Amino acid sequence: MLLNGVRKAAIAVGSGKIDAFLAKRTSPAYAYPHTDEEITLQVYAEADGAGDMDLESTMKCSLRESVHLIFDPRNLDVSVEEVFRLMLGVNCRRYTGPAEAAEAESVTAVVGFGGLLGGACVFRSGISAAKKIVAHMTGMEFEEVDDTVKDGIGEICNMLAGAWKSKVPDLAANCCLSIPAVITGRDYTIHVQAPEFKLHHTFKLDDTSFEVTIICDSLQ
Amino acid sequence: MSEVRTLIVDDSSVMRKIVERSLRQAGLDELVVYEASSGSEGLALLKVQQVDLILTDINMPAMDGLEFIRLVRAQNLAPGIPVVMITTESSMEYVQQAIVAGAQSYIRKPFTAEQVKERVLPLLHAA
Repeated sequence: MLLNGVRKAAIAVGSGKIDAFLAKRTSPAYAYPHTDEEITLQVYAEADGAGDMDLESTMKCSLRESVHLIFDPRNLDVSVEEVFRLMLGVNCRRYTGPAEAAEAESVTAVVGFGGLLGGACVFRSGISAAKKIVAHMTGMEFEEVDDTVKDGIGEICNMLAGAWKSKVPDLAANCCLSIPAVITGRDYTIHVQAPEFKLHHTFKLDDTSFEVTIICDSLQ
Repeated sequence: MSEVRTLIVDDSSVMRKIVERSLRQAGLDELVVYEASSGSEGLALLKVQQVDLILTDINMPAMDGLEFIRLVRAQNLAPGIPVVMITTESSMEYVQQAIVAGAQSYIRKPFTAEQVKERVLPLLHAA
């Protein structure tokens, strides 16, 4: 099957090969459109050059072998720090101290995972942190949680979800993301029934804090 | 570099601003930006406006970025114009799908202005 062939090769090549794969296509000599077969052959060629990989053994129908990586809490911390450093130009740090009083009004963004892992990445903060984060992203100041703040927090959650799943190659290749949903208001809770596992970390950004939660309710 | 007319397609207005800022930081001072909040808006804009560069998000409601790229190529709306996808997805499958659809490069979110420069400038020089 062509699709399976592409998948096997893609996983075998790994993300590190994508740059080389694409660099060749910056040449104007490349015409459009490429056929599936052309690309597949190219990907296989890259895989061959990468070493003696067993393509059959790299096809994933299950993430069970990667569970230790998926559950690794450091991946979440690294992902959050990476997104905030690259997109906001600020350093945030994991906070493991006692819980602090939360603002009454909060902003929550949810990005769903689909595929071999089902679940969601949830970002939640008070409105002060949300406005500060989007101010860093845009260079604008916000007096209220308007559409731009909601949009920015949705994008932050989207990037956090993408960065987290990219830390585990099998997850990156076999799990897709939903469009972000953003909730604002007071006195609401997000309830997930008995997730298979959950990572819940709090981070500090200056004098404000925010929470990032990875919820997995199905893992194949 | 002379004027670069750039179409940025993303359902997030914040991301459109960040992409524009990154392009300017990458050295594209003479940037003229056209924004579209959806694939269909991008297609409509390309029918009336010539551009030199297209950057598109992939994960968008209604028409996703892959479909947008396919239609741009199928309708010959931007012949020879480089298309760069911007995505949180990092797997080879997504890149492969975008290349088949007609993209030339990709930028993975989160990104730096330096990464934008590395991806975009060679395409503009080659075009």
